[in-house]
Amino acid sequence: MRTGWNWLGVLPFFVFAVLFLVLPTMNIVIGAFRNPQGEFTLANLAGLSAPRIVDSFAISIRISLASAALGCLVGFAMAAAVVMGGVPAWLKAPLMTFSGVASNFAGVPLAFAFIATLGRVGLVTMLLRQWFGINIYAMGFNLLSFWGLTLTYLFFQIPLMILIITPALEGLRREWREAAEVLGASTGQYWRMVALPILFPSLLGAFALLFANSFGAVATAYALTGSSLSIVPIMLFAQIRGDVLQDPHLGYAMAFGMIVVTGIANLAYVIMRSRAERWMR
Amino acid sequence: MSFLNLDHLQKSFGSTQVVHDFSLSVDKGEFISFLGPSGCGKTTVLRMVAGFEEPSEGRILIDGQDVTRLRPNQRQIGMVFQAYALFPNLNVAENVGFGLKVAGVPRSERASRVAEMLELIGLPDMAARFPWQLSGGQQQRVALARALAPRPRVLLLDEPLSALDAKIRVSLRNQIREIQQQLGITTIFVTHDQEEALSISDRIVVMHRGIAEQTGTPPQIYNQPATEFVAGFVGKLNLFDATVLDRASGLVSLAGSEIRLNRPIPPGRVSLAARPEGLVLAETGIPAEVTGVEFLGSVQRLRARVGERDIVLDRFNTDASLPQTGDRLHLSPELSRWLLVSHEQ
Amino acid sequence: MKRLWSWGAIIAGALYFLLPLIGTLEFSLRMRRGEYSLDAYRSVLADPAFRATFGYSVAMALLTILLGVLIVVPTAYWVRLRLPRLRPVIEFITLLPLVIPAIVVVFGYIRLYNTSSLLPLTGSATGTNLLLLCGYATLALPYMYRAVDTGLSTLDVRSLTEAAQSLGAGWVRIIGNLILPNVMGAVMSGAFLSFAIVIGEFTMAALLNRPAFGPYMQLLGANRAYEPAALAVIAFAATWGCMGLMQLISRLASVRRTAR
Repeated sequence: MRTGWNWLGVLPFFVFAVLFLVLPTMNIVIGAFRNPQGEFTLANLAGLSAPRIVDSFAISIRISLASAALGCLVGFAMAAAVVMGGVPAWLKAPLMTFSGVASNFAGVPLAFAFIATLGRVGLVTMLLRQWFGINIYAMGFNLLSFWGLTLTYLFFQIPLMILIITPALEGLRREWREAAEVLGASTGQYWRMVALPILFPSLLGAFALLFANSFGAVATAYALTGSSLSIVPIMLFAQIRGDVLQDPHLGYAMAFGMIVVTGIANLAYVIMRSRAERWMR
Repeated sequence: MSFLNLDHLQKSFGSTQVVHDFSLSVDKGEFISFLGPSGCGKTTVLRMVAGFEEPSEGRILIDGQDVTRLRPNQRQIGMVFQAYALFPNLNVAENVGFGLKVAGVPRSERASRVAEMLELIGLPDMAARFPWQLSGGQQQRVALARALAPRPRVLLLDEPLSALDAKIRVSLRNQIREIQQQLGITTIFVTHDQEEALSISDRIVVMHRGIAEQTGTPPQIYNQPATEFVAGFVGKLNLFDATVLDRASGLVSLAGSEIRLNRPIPPGRVSLAARPEGLVLAETGIPAEVTGVEFLGSVQRLRARVGERDIVLDRFNTDASLPQTGDRLHLSPELSRWLLVSHEQ
Repeated sequence: MKRLWSWGAIIAGALYFLLPLIGTLEFSLRMRRGEYSLDAYRSVLADPAFRATFGYSVAMALLTILLGVLIVVPTAYWVRLRLPRLRPVIEFITLLPLVIPAIVVVFGYIRLYNTSSLLPLTGSATGTNLLLLCGYATLALPYMYRAVDTGLSTLDVRSLTEAAQSLGAGWVRIIGNLILPNVMGAVMSGAFLSFAIVIGEFTMAALLNRPAFGPYMQLLGANRAYEPAALAVIAFAATWGCMGLMQLISRLASVRRTAR
């Protein structure tokens, strides 16, 4: 080994990463297994089985799955339309720029935008009532609900998907499609046997990222609903602020639960990818 | 009745016409090369046969069936692409068996056909490898096996050798020709390399600016080029400034010597020409001054000046002493093999 | 058929994305009863808290970019030059902030750097600002590292370095005068992404109790009707401006590179 003192060059990075990423996370993980006296315990984790906490995890996971799945689907459709769907080529640049903007347009302003659009006096709500006589709130729609939040999250999920998947779609070579076609494959067979398997790692990665993205999102939901919708990040937010729960170690356990959920999502991605990529270098 | 008929094909992209009135009849089992520089339309014609481009005008018939409007996956054609288009997610056996699988061939039958094809290309042990584990030459052989496995009616080869090293290029082209003859499959081979085309084709179509300039056997193309473009693109050609003395009997005069061509000179502007190896030295005849000598092993290459023209003359390496720069020699008007080249209008 | 599907996807997507923007714009103009006006904007811009929090967040964003560049550029460069085997490790670490929710990270900060700890950063305003800054740099790390590493991949780092060393340049000079200018386009794109993330960030600032723009917007949203829509339009315009600048600069950088 002639690395010698070379590691000194990356020392600042590792110090930073340890102090502001690794140690804080470790602190939470360890805290989840300790009681206030610093002794080992599983009581905090057991506290997660309280019905309202289980419910909050359930609804969070459902929202994240739904917004990730729909985000992947719609984002993929839009990216595919632009890359290979035969629409004019000039559409691509504005779509990519817009996706860059919209994928970062999360948080508080996004909530405002959807309140102004689909809230009780929002533009679309009003227009639907005036023009078509459809009262979506009377029909059971509520922005502060599972579907309302999912619909809102899609505003940054779809563009994120477009940004991730467009380069992968562009990596599909024309010769693969032509070779499949000339060998007698239909368009469906080409997608099922060639294109989708090649895209599979990218699709999985995008799904895992989109899932984590919406699972950890606090600002949009908080600005939209206050603390009325009990998804996990909102509960944890309230807990850290000391508004609701008084047991700090339950907070540790909830944060640990969040890490476990996003960890599982990403672990699943890594495992499935390594299996899908056996044909890669 | 020939097997593959291209009938007055035309193709325009927007306002630019890339293929003009292209007609060709190919017999069953024939190996045809489309030869020409890039942008000459040869690949476009091939892609029209494959079905990737729709002709603006004209028809394509395979075995009497009009396939002009058929989609590529209905044409029963095999194709090998320039940059080994193997499916990266499938191993060699799965790649070769792809066409059989989509056609619904049962698994056992598929396996035996794949094994047979791998045997044919000389890679029987590579079935489980993935494309990235193969060299370029191996990938292209697998691509050939993949194209041949479903027993296509016509095989199309789109510059299959141009991404490979020079040495592999030669051995693979011989292998392609062997397999083609063994299977007796009608084949179109697109290339810009004249040596490739000359060495393995039954017939060559030389293309230029979307037009078939000449169609003929390799010796015809090389020895009797129909146009100046063909003569210049295929092999090296020396042009001379000669004067026509009598068109009907084919008599011309070059630097004071009379040359009898023994065939009538066609109307229009023509040039007198000769291949480097078609020129023969003599004691008397057309005077030439040596401007350079290259010793190439089996061949001696002389550069010389005849009148206002620089020419090249090749002759076999014999015991005869090598001429020196500045020597004055003569070209034989009788023994040299003269060509007549028509100029484009 | 294919084209029909494509147009369908594009038009449906465009409707979904444009309607909220139009709705917000329309809503922000409705403050005066019966007619459109800019009253909501006037009210927002006249609010001293708006200016204070917006200024605070802009300053934090600029400092985040500075800190990010200082951490990421030398590291990415050094890993490419001397420690290529560490690359997977570094890449893994830089992707962690995408996996670990920000709220968990900031929760860790509060517990780890509280007043009774070894490093009581939350004890003073300056300390908390520093902590928030580091938190923002962590959030921006994945984007910054990706951008810079992609930029470096277009350079022959080793040859450049050896050439500079043979001319007698030291490390600071190599990184500052040679590497940094060459990856400036990439750094800028990472910088604008960081800016867009930091400017409206809510969770960390709220939990660390700093007077940033994100918590201000949330507070306004809870208490007012029309001003939040005006704020959303301003925030969207700011994000859009950032992206526009980013594209412009990366285009200029690539033009300059091809011109050279």
